[in-house]
Amino acid sequence: MSAVSTEGLTKRFGDETAVDGLDLDVPEGEVFGFLGPNGAGKSTTISMLLGFLEPTAGSATVLGTDVTEDPRAVRERVGLLPEGFDGVPNLSAREHVQTAIETKGADDDPDTVIERVGLDPDDARRPADEYSTGMFQRMALAVALVGDPDLLVLDEPSAGLDPNGVRLVREIVEEERERGATVFFSSHILDEVERVSDRVGILQDGELTAVNSVENLRAELGMGAVVEATVDEVPDEFAADGTLAAVDGVTDVTVAESTVSVSCASPRAKMPALREIDRAATVEDVAIEETSLEDLFEAYTGGQGGPASESRPGTGGDPVGSEAGSAGQEVATDGGVHR
Amino acid sequence: MSVDTVARSDFRSARRSWVVLGVVVAFVGMVALVFLGSSSVHPEPVRTTWGFSALVVWVFPLLIAPLTYLAIAGDRERGSIKYHLGLPNSRGEYFFAKYVSRTGVATAAMAIGVLVAVVVATVTYDSAPDPGRFLTFGALSVLFALAFAGVFVAVSAAVTTRSRAMFGVFGAYFLLSAFWVGFLPVLNLGTVLDAVASIPGVSVSDSARAIVGSLSPAGAYFNLLPELVWSDVLTDYDTFATFADRPDYLGYEAWFNLLVLGVWTVGAPLVGYLRFRSAELG
Repeated sequence: MSAVSTEGLTKRFGDETAVDGLDLDVPEGEVFGFLGPNGAGKSTTISMLLGFLEPTAGSATVLGTDVTEDPRAVRERVGLLPEGFDGVPNLSAREHVQTAIETKGADDDPDTVIERVGLDPDDARRPADEYSTGMFQRMALAVALVGDPDLLVLDEPSAGLDPNGVRLVREIVEEERERGATVFFSSHILDEVERVSDRVGILQDGELTAVNSVENLRAELGMGAVVEATVDEVPDEFAADGTLAAVDGVTDVTVAESTVSVSCASPRAKMPALREIDRAATVEDVAIEETSLEDLFEAYTGGQGGPASESRPGTGGDPVGSEAGSAGQEVATDGGVHR
Repeated sequence: MSVDTVARSDFRSARRSWVVLGVVVAFVGMVALVFLGSSSVHPEPVRTTWGFSALVVWVFPLLIAPLTYLAIAGDRERGSIKYHLGLPNSRGEYFFAKYVSRTGVATAAMAIGVLVAVVVATVTYDSAPDPGRFLTFGALSVLFALAFAGVFVAVSAAVTTRSRAMFGVFGAYFLLSAFWVGFLPVLNLGTVLDAVASIPGVSVSDSARAIVGSLSPAGAYFNLLPELVWSDVLTDYDTFATFADRPDYLGYEAWFNLLVLGVWTVGAPLVGYLRFRSAELG
């Protein structure tokens, strides 16, 4: 059965279409990364999946239940970390978790859940209003984990977290997958999505532009990996029309001083390319850089005029505009290939 | 029971913000002052319920405004509504829990105020307060508090932002209390009815005026006091004498005014909930 299934899911705010005919199918047990620039419609989609927003058209089924018909039943089995989460004023993290446990009728120990997300037990008893963004986010994650939900919906779970926190999110997602839960999360932190997602969906301007595993998406775009070799002398074979460029699966060869960079469409092209480099020159150093999801992401969403984070109708107070709240997690646009 | 869980966490939150204590202390303090101040002027505490009722209608709604106007609109703007509704709470449960929590504080403040009035009156007045009279007065005042707090929570549920909630709540106060009962000399229901009556061919009878005047919670409350609380002392004081020979209009009937208060008490939250039920909470 599908954990999340949408058919033609559409949301319009006045003339603006925030989500446009979304067809999604996330099978149970999958970790699905939902990617897209700010304002792409990710949070709007998630709000429809939880029954906060009524779809303009189409349908959304979560864990076999039509959300518009019984949102409460859906929430019984879902753990939600909403975007722009804010707690109840003057309540501590422990009280937030305790309330969630009571509401879900779960038998969790609040202290165990709090420990799991790495919140200090003393901090957990202070009012959450005093928390740093990172501590707040950990509390939100703890609330989402209460009651071992069948589906975890995490909207920008790493927003505001330090590298330790980002790693923690990743570990928790993996633990939840082990447990058999489905994880549906949106993120700008592409590196993180890349590491834990079985599949990713790329959302742009409310439309799903791609759904696939990260490897397949790479292959589809011919951006598998870059082989970089530092050589003592650059021979003619490395010219753009030389024998190196002719190796099967090589899409591009560039030379900068004594470093030659070879783009390979598929993993299989890497060794033949390396052999060709080794044959024609003396290799002093070699590095292989996988094309990051950032590049992939840019290939899909970038190049369509300016920063793809143009906001949706009515920023500030407006439901969709609230996506801008996750600034600081902007998609890296330096184009850097990173490990 | 999720209404209970939401209501408890909401009450705990409000309590820790000191707003609960602030409302109760401010109101009780004023009530005590009114009764202490009049104790040397009027020998009978019943006369001071007149001043108390003015406090109820003119001041009390303003005191509970900060307690109620953010009940739901504040959660929406902050985003904490997604905490409550991300958990298995229906919108109805969430709304009802907020209603119970906030109106609970408002009615408790009113009840404590009446109780303190009785204590102060017992200690400082020549004659002791009549328990039955004060019980009726307390019940009517609590009902008024419930109706008004309900209107405010309903406004909070029906709007999207804090600023609109504030305008809505104060607008409701000025319309339903100040305007309706005629606190403002020129801008009030009476002048509007006069204006309507001045249109050629239109006449507004006194009985119709009485009905229209009773249609706000404040109007109904003020109509109920001479009928149910002051009926046996109407001729004892000049203040009450104006009510002594009121005609038998429907708008002055106790049952009719109780009905009006009841309709406000039930109807306002219902309308607020219906607005909230289909609200976009993105």
